[in-house]
Amino acid sequence: MLRYSLKRLLVAIPTILALIVIAFFLMRLAPGGPFTAERPLPESVMKNVLARYGMDQPLYVQFGTYLKNLFFHFDFGPSFAQKDRSVNEIIAHGFPVTITYGFWSAVFVLLLGIPLGIIAALRHNGVWDYTMTGLAIFSQIFPNFVLAPLMVLLFTLVLGWLPGGGWNGGQWQYIIMPAVALGTSYMASVARLTRGQMLEVLNSPFIRTARAKGLSERTIVWRHAMKPALLPVVSYMGPVFVYMITGSVFIDVFFSTGGIGQDFIDGAYSRDYSVLMALALLYITLTIVLNLLMDLIYAWVDPKVRSAL
Amino acid sequence: MNSFRTKMRSKAFSEELAEEIIQSNSFWQDARIRFFQNKMAVLSCFILLSIVLFAIFGGYFAQWSNEEIDWSVLGKVKTEGMPSIASGHYFGVDELGRDLYARVVQGSRVSLSVGVIASIFALISGATWGAIAGYYGKRLDAVILGASQITTAIPYIIFFVVWQAFFGRSTSQLIIVMILVNWSAGLFIVRGQVMMLKEKEFVDAARLMGLSDFQIIRKHILPNMLGIVVIYASLTIPEVIMFESIVSFLGVGIQEPATSWGKLIAEGARTMQFGTLWQFAFPAAIFALTQISLYYIGDGLRDALDPKDR
Amino acid sequence: MKRRSFVLATLLSSTIAFSATAAEVPAGTNLATDQTFTYRVLDEFSSFDPQVVEDVNGSEVVRDLFEGLYNQDADGNNVPGVAVSHEVSDDNMMYTFKLRDNAKWSDGTAVTAGDFVYAWQRAVDPELASPYAWYVELMSIENGAAIIAGEQPIENLGVSAPDDHTFVVKLSAPLPYFDKMVSHATTFPAPKWAIDAHGGEWTRPGNLVSNGAYVLTEHVPKERSTRERNAMYWNNDATVLDKVVTLVIGDDVQGLTRWKAGEVDKTDIPAGQYPTLKAEFGDEAYALPRLCNYYFTFNMSDDGPEAFKDVRVRQALALALDRNVITDQVLQGGQFPAYNFTPAATAGFDSPDSDLANMSQSDRDAKAMALMAEAGYGKDGETLSFEYLYNTSEAHEQVAIVASQMWKQKLGVEATLANQEWKVFLENRGAQNFEMARGAWCGDYNEASTFLDLLTTPSGYNDGKFSNARVDELMTGAKSSQDANPLYTEVEGILADEMPVIPVYHYATNMMLDSSVQGWPVGNVEQTWYSKDLYKTAE
Repeated sequence: MLRYSLKRLLVAIPTILALIVIAFFLMRLAPGGPFTAERPLPESVMKNVLARYGMDQPLYVQFGTYLKNLFFHFDFGPSFAQKDRSVNEIIAHGFPVTITYGFWSAVFVLLLGIPLGIIAALRHNGVWDYTMTGLAIFSQIFPNFVLAPLMVLLFTLVLGWLPGGGWNGGQWQYIIMPAVALGTSYMASVARLTRGQMLEVLNSPFIRTARAKGLSERTIVWRHAMKPALLPVVSYMGPVFVYMITGSVFIDVFFSTGGIGQDFIDGAYSRDYSVLMALALLYITLTIVLNLLMDLIYAWVDPKVRSAL
Repeated sequence: MNSFRTKMRSKAFSEELAEEIIQSNSFWQDARIRFFQNKMAVLSCFILLSIVLFAIFGGYFAQWSNEEIDWSVLGKVKTEGMPSIASGHYFGVDELGRDLYARVVQGSRVSLSVGVIASIFALISGATWGAIAGYYGKRLDAVILGASQITTAIPYIIFFVVWQAFFGRSTSQLIIVMILVNWSAGLFIVRGQVMMLKEKEFVDAARLMGLSDFQIIRKHILPNMLGIVVIYASLTIPEVIMFESIVSFLGVGIQEPATSWGKLIAEGARTMQFGTLWQFAFPAAIFALTQISLYYIGDGLRDALDPKDR
Repeated sequence: MKRRSFVLATLLSSTIAFSATAAEVPAGTNLATDQTFTYRVLDEFSSFDPQVVEDVNGSEVVRDLFEGLYNQDADGNNVPGVAVSHEVSDDNMMYTFKLRDNAKWSDGTAVTAGDFVYAWQRAVDPELASPYAWYVELMSIENGAAIIAGEQPIENLGVSAPDDHTFVVKLSAPLPYFDKMVSHATTFPAPKWAIDAHGGEWTRPGNLVSNGAYVLTEHVPKERSTRERNAMYWNNDATVLDKVVTLVIGDDVQGLTRWKAGEVDKTDIPAGQYPTLKAEFGDEAYALPRLCNYYFTFNMSDDGPEAFKDVRVRQALALALDRNVITDQVLQGGQFPAYNFTPAATAGFDSPDSDLANMSQSDRDAKAMALMAEAGYGKDGETLSFEYLYNTSEAHEQVAIVASQMWKQKLGVEATLANQEWKVFLENRGAQNFEMARGAWCGDYNEASTFLDLLTTPSGYNDGKFSNARVDELMTGAKSSQDANPLYTEVEGILADEMPVIPVYHYATNMMLDSSVQGWPVGNVEQTWYSKDLYKTAE
């Protein structure tokens, strides 16, 4: 298992390298650069600006410099848009924010979505089942950009319970709305996946055998059905968790939380290459780790998969 | 093990094989019967079909085109732009005094084509690659995983911008980029399921019987995970429809005067609290109907395709 | 003989000039105990470094933190800042500023002319490579352009400090509006010792040494910043607001909700909501004229469509555009229908009388149809079709849709809309890769040439590549003229005839401002405001 994990992480190195190459050159293919502005810079000024950021060099030299700074100094370079700060600082500031509300959002998704799905499956076509269906549909008609304004109207303007935005060092009042707004539709999806797979598992031969043996329903669900029923949720949550902790563009913009989701959109808009590169690297690292984690969970649930790894 | 080999050469084996083929034919037949016994699923099919018909023929009932401005209500939308049969604006007008009915009809066409076509192709691609990765494992798995990791890590806006810079911008191009960006949709779920299923006894047995990998996947693995794939698909289609609205908001999606459900909902949601609720309600309602239909069709398919009932 | 400046005259005649640089609180006002002003900004600041800052919101903060030679009063006129007066040489090529002796940096050091010399040299330094070096180039300071081009050392910039309280600027050419340019952030002094000590981190709270009415005490990027009263500021006694907080809120509607919830005192108004908010909140909803224009530019270069080379087509499209519908029924934010390029709010500028402005819309439509028919288009002729390019934004899209429908219904013109992501749009427009495109310009200083220079042949911002010898000649003449306004009016006349761009509207600033906040410079068309001029009353 450990060997397998190490191997997977080793295989990840070429993946990351490939990403660096693709992302670096793809960004520069996009029309417009960081200094393209409504008011075009005079030629001489542009020359100085480009020289300052080493962008007057041929592209392959720039790429070499980038790799050198990245690997030898772990330096992601300067931001072209936020001139007072380096990319390292930007990420160091934004990432903890995003991961905090992303984490709580994931907790909300799993703690509510899984039980809801299980209850709906056990009470197939019962009240709970319809409640869940209703919730699932509601949450997708009200995606976060519809839900968030409604929440703010209710909890900030009418009731005055929660602040309408900001982060304030991550006090709980500031986390609730972003986490719920971000998680609601995922929560509904998790509930649906859980319900679907649970129904399937409860219908499978080995559960039938268990029933025939006269085991109690509770034992059957907890001991036997639970693990296989949750596997699709594990697969689903892998990528979703990466989305959540790398920040929702909308949540950051709307709630002014200051996470890296905002940097992602600003970076793309302003062609802030170095910020985008750092985010892409952060993203892929998290994806790789979470994919590995997913596989390990599969192996833990199913011994046969374990031996195959 | 040995018994399997002897069996393979026997006459009984070929009979068994033939029977299995018949059985699998009857499986699809049974599935169809089971599906049509599910009232909600059938009703949902009708609703979905009506929405498709609405998108295609709804325009014939519109009094206005989707881009024409009703100058008499422009600037007074809040007070005079509400839905009315008399004015010919059945769904009211949008912020610019354009007929919302005509816009919803036209938006349905875009969303059904962009959302549905793109997500179905994305899912097929994701499922195929997921099955290959899960089934063969090892190096192939590593390569497919790596490719999917790279795609998700590249900022998609940049990808859209570059693609459009080289291939131009149109609805068909939009569909293509949406598929490319989402090519690994469902990959992990399918991969995980295949990883589990391929270790099951019946797959070993099939392998020993000399079935090709393709046959094994098609006959033994696919039916066993169709249920979850269908549910995942019914989740993905609405997601892709809404994703289009984000892409349009960023300036790389649908071009005005054309619109889509996602765009209409986003615009309606923005002005909802300023007293023009209908601008949100109509597109949201039709989007909701689509989702409810997809949900029950997905449920019906899952029940119908459940191989354990065989 | 040396011409005494207007500023000096008012300064000597009374103390009004002094009181105008601080909050003017009428006697008997019941001031709030908590003098904290909180306002919404759209996104994170580009920088707090005066020579580097590029964005409007960043400049607002920098104006509070630093003080330049002059400040602006509520009407946009110069009032003393660090400089109390200036003299201009007879040839208009040398400006001598007299600095006050009681100005101090927040660490107690005296503000000297040397700080200005350092800052101005810094602004053109190729090593700092500030994009705003273009502003100094525009100021026509001696050797400025050559230093930026790397041909001369920064020491050769035409600025000097004969003593601590005298700052001398030499120009390479007379510039009638030079004194209007020194209230801009790029020209603010910079503390060399703090910059040397902290390098790139000198703008952090704690490191930042400033000479304005406020000091930076907190900055959480993408979330908030706080500036508090600077006890060392020479006129600190007259400052009323103790604390100014900015909150970054990326969404207009959310900004409004948080304004309603009392979380911010000032926010922008979402597009099209001004009338509703005006009805609901009365005087707290503002629509103020602003020094910006909005226009459609024809591509008149060789790459442009053949049809646009016909002046009748350009005129017809301009005539058929019902600007009142755009301002009153679509945008609804107090914008002004535009019939010429330069906003009427521009200081000293007389809007010329043009046919376009005086006709009724039905006459305009009739004339437009006639012109189109004459040019061979319209109902009996060819269908004119072209693509209109704009950058993605709700408001631009609305204007584009309405305009294209007007042209379609009145003239049978097929205008296809094309929105592009911001940088893609800039790239294409700048490369004349368009047929008709959206354009907008905000004045760098309050004088008509900031707009009209744009349409001269050598201008780098002339995306439509309009070229007219007489316009070039008049605009060159205006640089050395004592009263350039008649020249500007003549240029507008040529533009009205040639119609290289279709003026659509002149901007208005839309905002919600809590009624407790007083002293807002509503008459300042550049929206140059200073926290030190504001105060909060008790409800």
